[in-house]
Amino acid sequence: MTLRVLVVEDDREIRTLMQSSLSVEGFEVQTAVSLREAQALWRHSPPDVIVLDLGLPDGDGLELVKTVRAQRSTPIIVVSARHQETQKIRLLDAGADDYLTKPFSVAELLARIRVALRHRGTALSAAVTEHARDDLRIDLAAHRVERDGQAVHLTPTEFKLLARLVRSAGRVVTHRQLLADVWGPEFTDHTHYLRLYMGQLRAKIERDPAEPRHLLTETGVGYRLAAD
Amino acid sequence: MNERMPQPSVPAPAHRWAIVCLLLGLATACGFALEPHVSLTSLAMVYVLAVALAAYKLDWIGSSVCAVAAVTALNFFFVPPRWTFEVESQEHFIALGAMLVVALAISHLATGLRREADVARLNEQRARQLQALATELANAAAPDQVLALGRSALEAGFAGPCVLALTQDDGRLELPTDAEATERDGMVCCVREAAVLGPGTGRWPGLDAWFMPLGEKGHVAGAASVRPAAAGDEGAREHAQALCALLGQALWRLRLNAELLQAQSEAHHQQLQSTFLAAISHDLRTPLAAIVGAASSLQTQREKLDPAEQERLLASIASEAGYLSTVTENTLQLVRLSGSAQALRRDWESLEEIVGAVLARVRQRDPGRRIKSSVPDDLPLVKADPVLLAQLIANLLDNALTYSDGPIELSVSAHANALEVCVKDRGPGLTNAQQASLFAPHVRGDHPGVRGAGLGLAVCKAIAEAHGARLTHRHRSGGGSRFSLLLPLENPQPAREAA
Repeated sequence: MTLRVLVVEDDREIRTLMQSSLSVEGFEVQTAVSLREAQALWRHSPPDVIVLDLGLPDGDGLELVKTVRAQRSTPIIVVSARHQETQKIRLLDAGADDYLTKPFSVAELLARIRVALRHRGTALSAAVTEHARDDLRIDLAAHRVERDGQAVHLTPTEFKLLARLVRSAGRVVTHRQLLADVWGPEFTDHTHYLRLYMGQLRAKIERDPAEPRHLLTETGVGYRLAAD
Repeated sequence: MNERMPQPSVPAPAHRWAIVCLLLGLATACGFALEPHVSLTSLAMVYVLAVALAAYKLDWIGSSVCAVAAVTALNFFFVPPRWTFEVESQEHFIALGAMLVVALAISHLATGLRREADVARLNEQRARQLQALATELANAAAPDQVLALGRSALEAGFAGPCVLALTQDDGRLELPTDAEATERDGMVCCVREAAVLGPGTGRWPGLDAWFMPLGEKGHVAGAASVRPAAAGDEGAREHAQALCALLGQALWRLRLNAELLQAQSEAHHQQLQSTFLAAISHDLRTPLAAIVGAASSLQTQREKLDPAEQERLLASIASEAGYLSTVTENTLQLVRLSGSAQALRRDWESLEEIVGAVLARVRQRDPGRRIKSSVPDDLPLVKADPVLLAQLIANLLDNALTYSDGPIELSVSAHANALEVCVKDRGPGLTNAQQASLFAPHVRGDHPGVRGAGLGLAVCKAIAEAHGARLTHRHRSGGGSRFSLLLPLENPQPAREAA
């Protein structure tokens, strides 16, 4: 079965480019030039992935994200320019899965879609409980973390933080989401907790904490556990 | 200035008569005491003394009454036949008549003198108040301050109630909402006519207050109403006008200053933008030329080019576009930072993280891993805009990669009140002239065949300034450059998690 991608983008050049490069990869591509059209297409036949541009003429897409999230866990990838940081974070907090910053390469777009599709349906089916990449092995069910085959000892909070990232491996998790899920909804402003605990986690997991390869920082947005 | 001005020094009517009775009683008592020893003429002198004192102290009504009463008392108590109002000899008539005239004359002169002294004292007080207000107004930095000073000056100088109001930018008066209709109309009218209204001015003489514009025709900055207002009290009106004139001048001066500052900053901004546009157009045009060249070559000559050549052209398009993207990003950031106050999105940030994120990006241009980083763990957190700080460090590293060939050192270290980020290279270094103009947006080093990145350093400087940080450049012994960013630390650090 071919996977269907809905591309919501008002710029013709970028829309055409995305359409052709996604078609080549075997996706069935639908396009919309406005949020209204996207809503209509969504109602008519929900796609498997949505790629949503932020600079649309008829709104910032928050409504679309809410509509989609109210019904399904369809992955949403937000495409934004540098100056749309705040808007982007708002959409991610509202349930969008990941983001791309313009200008982006086709390779980046495909990688994001691949990761998003891998997580598709995790809200319903069994959630991710294992993660393995390079020297790092994490088994959430067994409560085990290993680096180079050596067990790494984590405090309960460090483990909760890492577990949250593992469940979204490859995808960005915003500061707000991490704080709410690990510490509780009343701590969503305490970003300094994250700085301190991520520092501790990196010191235990990374070979060179100053140049991390697993626990990546999405500056100003959140964190991402690198996945292949 | 806060003290109320003294009123003229005449006792109240009730006291006036008490003083008259007291003086005459004393004079009569003295008269009886002296009577056995002195003549009637000397007794008359005692009464004249009482009248003179009364004239000195009381207004003309009080002193005249006192004079007549003194003559009557002298007649009644001492002039023969005593204990009657009758007068026996003609000589005594003349003495009594002369005494009355003397008493009235003293009274008239004394009241006149006193009135002049009162006026002189009031004028002196008013002059002093004007001077004090002028001094205070010279230090006022905002219209609100001028208004407050004016209000306290009017309250000190007049019984009130006095009202002050400023005109807004659209020319309307900013009146208290509970102002009465006459108050409102008077204020508005005196601003419109730029003239004083009220008693004695010939305009709206029936009002209970003087309405005065603050400032002259053409630039009236507000209005005042002053009470009590009497048609004949020119001194008070002139004083109020002088106070209002001072306030008007102060307000006008503030307005002119503000306009001047704005004009200067606009001119500066425009100049900056034009040099800046000239500078970036070069930085934009060169990569565009390369992209257009490579793309058109592929379009028209693809069959003639061998695959390796085609690959090279494609790679050139991609890398030039990447460069174009960096220049655009820096340009936008500089415009944003130099424009109106940019809202930084500051949060507690870890430099280790920011450096890590920057390295992840810059390594794509650094396949030989020339950048060596050294970041100690457990650095204190800084309150910063992470995106901007990352851009700053990335620009410094980009420049070092572009302008030098050897190893590049990136280090972070903690000082007592600041964190220092250092980028050191072994490039050709800078001349002193280059160093002086290093951070200007239109300047780039003279490196033949290499793209300029003066824009990048200007962005770095702007970002550093927005954070209250200092970005400096030094020569390294042994050649090369050393850029150092000193980021002030916030105290205290955020509270750790309550365990």
